[in-house]
Amino acid sequence: MKLSEAETTFQVPIGPQHPALAESENFTFTVDGETVVDVKARLGYVHRGIEKALENGTYIQNLYLIERICGICSHAHTLCYSQNIDEALGIEAPPRAQYIRTLVAELGRVHSHYLWLGLAGHEIGFDTLFMYAWRDREVVMDLQEMITGNRVNFALFTIGGVRRDVASNVVERVRKGVNILEERIKYYKKMCANEVTLLKRAVGVGILKPSQAINLCAVGPLLRASGVKRDIRKDDPHAAYDEVPFNVITYDGCDVASRLFVRVDEVVESLNIIRYALDHLPDGPIRVKFPRRVPPNETISRVEAPRGELFHYLKSNGTDKPERYKVRTPTLANIPSLCEMLKGGYIADIPITIASIDPCFCCTDRVAIVDTVKGKKRIWTWDQLRRYSEKWHGRL
Amino acid sequence: MTTTQESQVGIVEGLKERIGSDNILDTRTARERRFFVTVKAEALKAAVSYLIAKGFRHITTISGVDLSDRIEVVYHLDREGFQLSVKVAVPENNPVMPTITDIIPGAMLYEREVHDLLGVVFEGHPDLSRLVLPEKWPDGLHPLRKKYSVEDIRRMVNEVE
Amino acid sequence: MGLIKWARVKSPWILHINTGACNACDIEVLAALTPRFDVERFGVLLKGSPRHADALVVTGTVTRQVKDRLVRVYEQMPEPKFVVAVGGCACTAGVFHSCYNVYGGVDQAIPVDAYIPGCPAKPEAIIDGVVKLLAKLKGA
Repeated sequence: MKLSEAETTFQVPIGPQHPALAESENFTFTVDGETVVDVKARLGYVHRGIEKALENGTYIQNLYLIERICGICSHAHTLCYSQNIDEALGIEAPPRAQYIRTLVAELGRVHSHYLWLGLAGHEIGFDTLFMYAWRDREVVMDLQEMITGNRVNFALFTIGGVRRDVASNVVERVRKGVNILEERIKYYKKMCANEVTLLKRAVGVGILKPSQAINLCAVGPLLRASGVKRDIRKDDPHAAYDEVPFNVITYDGCDVASRLFVRVDEVVESLNIIRYALDHLPDGPIRVKFPRRVPPNETISRVEAPRGELFHYLKSNGTDKPERYKVRTPTLANIPSLCEMLKGGYIADIPITIASIDPCFCCTDRVAIVDTVKGKKRIWTWDQLRRYSEKWHGRL
Repeated sequence: MTTTQESQVGIVEGLKERIGSDNILDTRTARERRFFVTVKAEALKAAVSYLIAKGFRHITTISGVDLSDRIEVVYHLDREGFQLSVKVAVPENNPVMPTITDIIPGAMLYEREVHDLLGVVFEGHPDLSRLVLPEKWPDGLHPLRKKYSVEDIRRMVNEVE
Repeated sequence: MGLIKWARVKSPWILHINTGACNACDIEVLAALTPRFDVERFGVLLKGSPRHADALVVTGTVTRQVKDRLVRVYEQMPEPKFVVAVGGCACTAGVFHSCYNVYGGVDQAIPVDAYIPGCPAKPEAIIDGVVKLLAKLKGA
């Protein structure tokens, strides 16, 4: 029977930086049977008003607000911000600070990818992977706490450099931690490459062709898993990335599995970058002084956050507060691609496909299904959608 | 000249040829991989088409700032790490621009965001509905406009309740 | 103490709501469930529905949109019920006080029984807060 406009619609709340809430439907799916036909994006769940607040805060106050745009890649935001203000002031962080920035940024990437691995496992119903990955992630949390004083939200990067030095006794322990993490990630890679149930849920799912990825301006591991070799650390080097050797990881599968392997291999690369940074840590000061007021200027700073290209733009006006501070997070850049990937896929593949772009959301999201044929609206929890998808895949 | 400087000069020359030099109001090389060009609003689309043909196929984002009498909209294009930002000004009392989503589909959400926060209307955009502002937000209240303070916004939002 | 109270104290069921500040507290709440901290050894179970929950754990600050949802969820919980605000933003507006859409901490919407500060609150602090709440439950 042909369903014209009386097609069943799904509404999935999900956000780029925050989990979804109550009635805000952020993705509207139009489905035909089990297949997704169209996807529309609508955000707006937790709009706080940060960019406006940044215009009312001083440059130093804003550092702490920016850090809390997202708790998982907060280091990326503060790095991007510090670099931006450094450039606007015409100052340069000392070499030792650049290496520490690189080292901690890569530790943040390792942390984020381990976290993702656990959550992706959870989405497929592979809770063992979730528990193991998060147990190992504690090694990274310890290293972060050792170096910066906090597990999350480090307050380490600042304008002109970094606020804390890496003590020599810490260096040895970081090396040990890095060795453990490398051994574990290699084990997970082998496990994932051979785990048939996982591969069945990931290979050939959520296809994003290279041409689509480029036209829709995708970023990060999503782009690299479609074979496009773009990475801000290589293309627009900053901190110590122009001196540290590393590989940009790409895979050609264009699917969820490729995105998993890109991230796993990136962890290995990050661990090597950390080792190199520790071996080559220059001596010297860790910060330079800076004035309160930033002369009128216009600067752009970008970093390769764990999720992709993070962009900050500053327009300064000679005072101690910015005229305009614009932040574009990588998840926002990937939403058009996400919508495209979901089209033609099965409803049961929605959770893992969404998870594969690594958006910042947690598992309390809710799904609203609007059955326009019967005019009824059913609300499912994300858990129910996941269970539906496990059952559906189990049937095949 | 370095390759970057050479190519920047080449780009400006090509742009002049394509849209005419009186449509180019300013150019500025901030540093390596950071180039800003200001063009007249009517020439924006032609400029972007030309730049896409020159390899600037990635749009990082679109930002905007309220400069009292005008709103400055900046299109941040990228080619393999080289950031080329195209700046355009529209009058504050009539902030209308043509959409570029027909030539760069990736600009879809960025135009919606600038519309929400600053009130710029992108003509021809397939779906300029609300993107980042919450459901019950008062119509016409564009929070990044300088004329509204944080207290103003809080008050106006509460009134809608 | 009675059987029901004993059951509640020995195994409080928790509903976690994230009002969506920055997720840092959420990942620490989730971390509290993982092997290293293992809050389940205290009998704490994470539940999906307000109707099954003894305690509501809230992370994140209160924005206009969230306020209604928080109140509704709170009203759906059966008595006696307790609310734990985890993190600086849930206690007060935290760093977001200057943001136009932020109204403040969780107590702007519903009564709070335990405040666990931190940015984010460490898993040890969360467990400490839960244990203190259990002590309060004992007295209830």
